[in-house]
Formats: sequence, C-alpha cells, structure tokens
Amino acid sequence: MTYSSLLFIYGFLPLSLLVYRIAPASLKHLSLFVLSCVFCTLNSLRFMYFMLVYTVVNYFAGLFIGKFRKRKSLSAIPLSLGVSFDLLIFFMFRTDCLDVLREKSGIPEEFFPLGISFATLTAVGYLIDIFRKRMKPEFNFIKFALYMMFFPKLFIIVRYKTFYRMLGNKKVTLADIGDGFRIFVRGLAKKVIAGDTMYMLYMAVRSIDIWKMSAVNGWIGMTAYLLCVYFVLSGIADMGMGIGYCFGFRLPQSFNYPVFRTKIRDFALNWHVQIIYWFRRYFSKPLYEAGKNRLYKNIVFITAWCLAGLWYRFDPNGFMWGFLIGLTVVLEKYLRRFRFLKVTGIIYTYVITIICMVFLSGEDITQSVNYLLVMLGGNSIFADSVTLYLLKYYIIMLLICMYFSTSLFRNLLMRPQKNCLKNIISAISPVITVILLVICTILISYTGSSETFILKL
Amino acid sequence: MKISEISGRATAVLVFAVMAVMLVLTVCGKKEDFSVAEDRELADFPEISISALMDGSYGRQLAGYMTDHFYGREKLISARTRIEYAMCEKIVNGIYISDDMLLDAEISSRRIAPENADSVNDFLSSYSGTVYFAAVPTSSGVYGDMLPDYLLTNPEKKQIDFLYNGLNDSIRKIDTYNILRMLNDNYIYYRNDSKLTSYGAYYVYRTIIQKLGFQPLSYDKYTIKHVTSDFRGNLYSRCLYNSTKSDILDIYSYSGGAEITSCTVRTNNGITYRNTLNDESFLSGDMYRMYLGNEVPFMRIKTSVNNNKKLLLIKDSYADCFVQFLIQHYSEIAVISPESMTKPLSSFINPDNYEQTLFLFGIDSMDNGNLFDLLNG
Repeated sequence: MTYSSLLFIYGFLPLSLLVYRIAPASLKHLSLFVLSCVFCTLNSLRFMYFMLVYTVVNYFAGLFIGKFRKRKSLSAIPLSLGVSFDLLIFFMFRTDCLDVLREKSGIPEEFFPLGISFATLTAVGYLIDIFRKRMKPEFNFIKFALYMMFFPKLFIIVRYKTFYRMLGNKKVTLADIGDGFRIFVRGLAKKVIAGDTMYMLYMAVRSIDIWKMSAVNGWIGMTAYLLCVYFVLSGIADMGMGIGYCFGFRLPQSFNYPVFRTKIRDFALNWHVQIIYWFRRYFSKPLYEAGKNRLYKNIVFITAWCLAGLWYRFDPNGFMWGFLIGLTVVLEKYLRRFRFLKVTGIIYTYVITIICMVFLSGEDITQSVNYLLVMLGGNSIFADSVTLYLLKYYIIMLLICMYFSTSLFRNLLMRPQKNCLKNIISAISPVITVILLVICTILISYTGSSETFILKL
Repeated sequence: MKISEISGRATAVLVFAVMAVMLVLTVCGKKEDFSVAEDRELADFPEISISALMDGSYGRQLAGYMTDHFYGREKLISARTRIEYAMCEKIVNGIYISDDMLLDAEISSRRIAPENADSVNDFLSSYSGTVYFAAVPTSSGVYGDMLPDYLLTNPEKKQIDFLYNGLNDSIRKIDTYNILRMLNDNYIYYRNDSKLTSYGAYYVYRTIIQKLGFQPLSYDKYTIKHVTSDFRGNLYSRCLYNSTKSDILDIYSYSGGAEITSCTVRTNNGITYRNTLNDESFLSGDMYRMYLGNEVPFMRIKTSVNNNKKLLLIKDSYADCFVQFLIQHYSEIAVISPESMTKPLSSFINPDNYEQTLFLFGIDSMDNGNLFDLLNG
C-alpha cells in the first residue's frame, strides 16, 4: 500500500485519523504505533517484522551507547555494531553483493523494505548523535519505534531532537488537519498529475532507438526525467509531510524548488534538503574539522556528494551524478566572478542539471555517455517527426510542470502588494484541494494506485 | 479569525467528507462479480491468512478489492481516459485513441515466443496430414500508420515473419497481412477491438480456403444479419472510451448451402450438444462470445456437406467469426482452443483422422510460449 493508492486515501487514512481522534491522550502514541504497524502489515507482515527488528536493534544500540557515553572507547563498540548492522541491511537490499547472506537468512528475493534507504540514514544519524553526546538515548520504546516506523515519516528524515518535540504536540486543531490535507493533496497531485505524465514522456523518448534519436528528443526526454524525479520524490515527501500534519507532526519540507535555479549551488542546497543535510552533518562537517586547506575541503565536499549519489543509486552512475554536482558546485565558486554566468545562470544550471540526470537515469556509464553524445547531435539529427509529435501533445504539460517546479507561483503570493491575490487563493484553496483530490482519484482509478517509483529507495 | 484559519478548517471538513463518503459508498455499494464493460472478473474480498499477510499478497488483494469495487469505478475510468486524452498523448492505458478507432499501442513491446514455432514443428513431425498456419495481424498491425513512429520499433509484419521463419518448410504459411493491408479502407477490423470483423474474416477466408484447395464462395451469396450495433471489445474494456462509434457484429449465412447437422462441445468438465454455431444469448453480456459461445477446449462441428473432408482447426478468438465460412466446405471440423485446454490434444481427438490442420491465430497470442504445451502430449 502506497500513499497514492485508493486503499490508503479512502480507507486507511480516514480510519486512522478517526482512531487517533478518539484515542485518549495517554494512548495517542500507542495508537500511532499500532496504526504504523497496520500500515506496514498491509504492505506485508514480513515488512512489519523487519521494521520491528530493525527498530529493536537500533533501540538497544542507542541505549548501550548512552550507557557507556562517559567512556568513549567503550561506547564506540555498540556504535560500530549498530552502524555496521544498519549498513549491512542497506547493502543487503540496495545491492546484489550480499545476496548470499540474504539467501541464508531466508529473505525472499522479491522482498524490499519500503524506505530502507531513509531508515538507514535515520538510524545511523540517531546513533551518532548519542555517541557525540548531542542528545540522550530514548528509553521509551514506543517513542523510538514511532521515530523509525511512523508511517508518514518513512520517506522523511528528521533529527530525533526535532521529532521528540513533535511527539509532545498531541493537540491537533481542525486547521492543522486542513493544512495537512492540503499538503497531502499537493503531494498527490505532484506525483499523479505531474510525475506520472512526465514519466510517460520520458518513457516515450526512451522507447526510441538511441542511434535514431534526434538531439531535441534527447533534451526533451531528460527534461522530462528531471521533472519526473523531482515531482515523484517531492510528491511522496509532501504526502508524508501532509499526513504528519494531520497527526500534529510538523514534518519538514524535503525539496525547496531546486530545479531551474540560477546557480548550481542553489540546486544543490535545495534538492532533497534532509538527505543533503544529513551528509553534511554526519560526513562533511566532522571531516572539515580535520583540516582547513581549501583543496581538502573541496575534496570532502565532492566526496559527500558522491556518497549522496551512491545513496540514490549504488552504482557508478549514482556516483557520477553526485560527483558531477559536487564538482560543478566547487567550480562555480571560482567561475562565479565572471559576469556572464549571472546572465546565463538559468541556462547553464539547467544544462548541468540535465547532464547530471543523464547519469542518474542511464542503465550504465556507456549508455549515459551515448545518450550525452546523442544530445550533442551525435546522430546528426536535430529534430524529427517524433519531436513534433511529442511537443504537440506534451508541450502544455511540460510548461505547466516547469512553472510549478519553480518558486514563481509561491513568490507571487508572497509579495506584499499581492495580499488580495493571496487571500483569494487562500479562500478558494479548500475547493481547489477537493478538485485536485478528485482529479487524482480519477487518474489512479484504473490501477488503484500510482506506483511510478523511478528510484528504489 | 484569519482567512487561512477558516480555509484550513473548511479544507479539513471538505476533504474528510469526500474521503468518508467515498469510503461508505464503496463499502455499502452493491458488489458485482463480473464487469461487463471491462470484460473481466472482479476481485473477491480476500481471505486473511498468515502466509498471505507474510508475503504481502493480502494487502495487494485488499487494494485490488477496493479498486475493483470503488464507487463509480467505470465512470471514473472513463473520466480518466478523457482527462489523460486532453492532458497529453492520445495513449491511455496502452490504448491509442484515434478519431475513428482504438488501437493497441503496445505492439512493439510484444516478443514472439520461439517455443510456439517449435511446438508446431513437433506437431508436424508426428502428423500424417498437411499443416497450414495463418497468423493474423491485430488492428494495430494493419492500421499501424496511425500510431506515432516511436511506437513502431517492432511492427507486426516483422513479428509474423519471425514466427514464420521458425516454422518448418513443410508447413504452408498463409499471408493474411498483405491482403488485410490492401483492404484497410474497409470495415475489416472492429473500432473497439483488436480483432477482425466478419467482413475482414471473409477476406481472410477467401485467401485461406484457396490454399486449402477450395473455391471460395462469392460475397453476394451470403445473407448478412446485423446482430447488434452496440459491440465494444477488448480495447474499449481497457480504457472505457465511448466516443468512438460502437461496432456491428454480423452473422454470414448461405441459405442454399450446407447446414450444421451437429455441434458437440467438450468442456473440461463434460459434453454438451448444440444445433448452431452462434449463441445470441451472449448479446446481453460479453457480445463477442455470440460467435462460438464460451471458450471451450474442443468443439466438433458436423455439416451436411458430403465430401468426407475433415479439418482440424487449432485457433484462438480471432477465428471465432471465421468458422462460419468453413462449414460450406467440410463435412467435419474439429475446433481446438489451446488457451482453454487442460488436457492433451490426444484426449480429445486423433489428429491423423483429419487430413488438413489449420492453425489460425492472432499474432498477439504468440507471445505466450506455453500456448501449445498440450498439443504434443
């Protein structure tokens, strides 16, 4: 069961809101834990067991690190055991290199724990924070289990300290639920309307034989892929965030309009904020402390991006994606003094983002390089009848998606002189939300869900 | 109270009301077992079991049940088609929607299984008669020009050639593709289904029957009965797009010619007898079944023709409206549907009693490599 399924939207979500509403204050957390277990079980009982075991192991690792925190060398043992366990699980499900272990432990090949990549970062961050004495371990198992298993948070990473503050907020107003629904439906629309449409366009381009593809088709396909990844990932994160709001958890936003910026740095800072922040907090920052040399810092920065790339795709393509972003951000720092970059900002940022995406989307490095050559006119075809066909049918959706992937609409509402417009939008937002919900329901009515997961995270 | 506060509350009430109302209507609504429009069985409420919960199949079945019985499903699917049609490409759920007809847009992803040609070759090696093979293109094969170029990376002509290349040289391969392409200005394919109309089947019959050694009956000798003009087929079932014109089902009969003397139908459970090929009672449900009735593994048709010629016809649903043309030429026709067989061919008939065997299949059936598994048992 995914957030964007009929069973979730018209079954699990309203019923779980009712259960939470009628649960007495003392049982609110327990009710959320039970609901999260039900959510996991509806995916599979194996997933629920897995998440429980994963949570228990990290819970005790956290307790032992806390217990020995006065003796750093001793507390390093549960830390290394806990982190090794988390990484082992990550590699077991995200790569093929531990298939033997997987077979030996009797885990079927088709089993993939939803959001395992997020759970790994969450758990490792939690253990490191206790080890570095930034916080105490959580003794209450239900609270910790909610941190790991709370169903709206499966695709969102927050620090435990922040989450702990949210746990204290048991009072949810009707307006909070309204905000939650609005964010949830926004995420649903991002995923179902924008993400799935861009996926169709991307697949249309991908079905063309690469040696017959025109250059423009290559650019259209990669633009669609960029928008698809953005809308699918941010849509899922927004849905989780919205559901969190309905239960009084003000979970953070994951994407802050990263595409079509004027600097690569802005793309890097606003793309999957929590993931990039995690690598900065737990990887770059401790290493920055070790040396002040600029070259050293740049290497650490690029390495952090390479790791983030590997988090998205554990193969050379993921590495290249991260490496190129890291490298271009560093280069941009030096080139920024040239004024021409300010004028052509959007164009060069777009071009570099697209080149990076060629690696994220490609089957392997060779295919990605071939695709890049095609985009540069390697087939000596600039445009063809397919280009006209795709532009004819997709141009409007492409432009709409491009517009809503930028902050233009939000900025329009933010301007003080546009207060009237803001009030009008605010007043009609309930109707817009319902209309979007109905449209999304219609779009998923045939299969019952939208399951375009372009990256298995 | 601020506008944003009021707006938040209104959103909460409205969205929750929509969710709750749809949930109640779905739970309390009438549950059908079969969807006529989609031409498929709808999901039953899943039975809970540890193994089903463990592997996640319970969750999937429950989601499937919710989806199948969601309130207003057919109207929603129809609306979905229209929204997607307006929003981007004219392709919805793998169906290309042109102004005149629906076409399967996924033909290029079809892979012809080489095992089928091997099975037919094996059949030939233990058979004493002559084998003919006719692979019929789908409407997307004949009207492929309507599809955008990028969907035609693996055209049906290429798929048919691939299949024929795998067949033994002694098997007589019949080219239906070119004749149908030549006639594509006529109503030879349904607008809402991938199969041939009776009119298209007549031209396929003209080609095939000459190869089988007979003179075809001329078109004007037939009396044509329009049984219904409300037929919507397998392509419609996938998108429920009803702006294309519905189709006509025709029955061709030759009043001065041979008649059916008996029609024995063997299901996997027993034997039934009929006097006619067609069963018009199906017109209230799955209309295309009107031609030969429910899909059965074996049917023996005896006619008043006195030439002692017997034909073994191994076929899929593309041949359903084609059989009506054969009864003027054979005293006995054995019709075998491999898709419905659960027992080997030898448990129904001895193929050697038939001097000719005709395989007649839509090319879209040939991606199933297990189709002829029970042919050589």
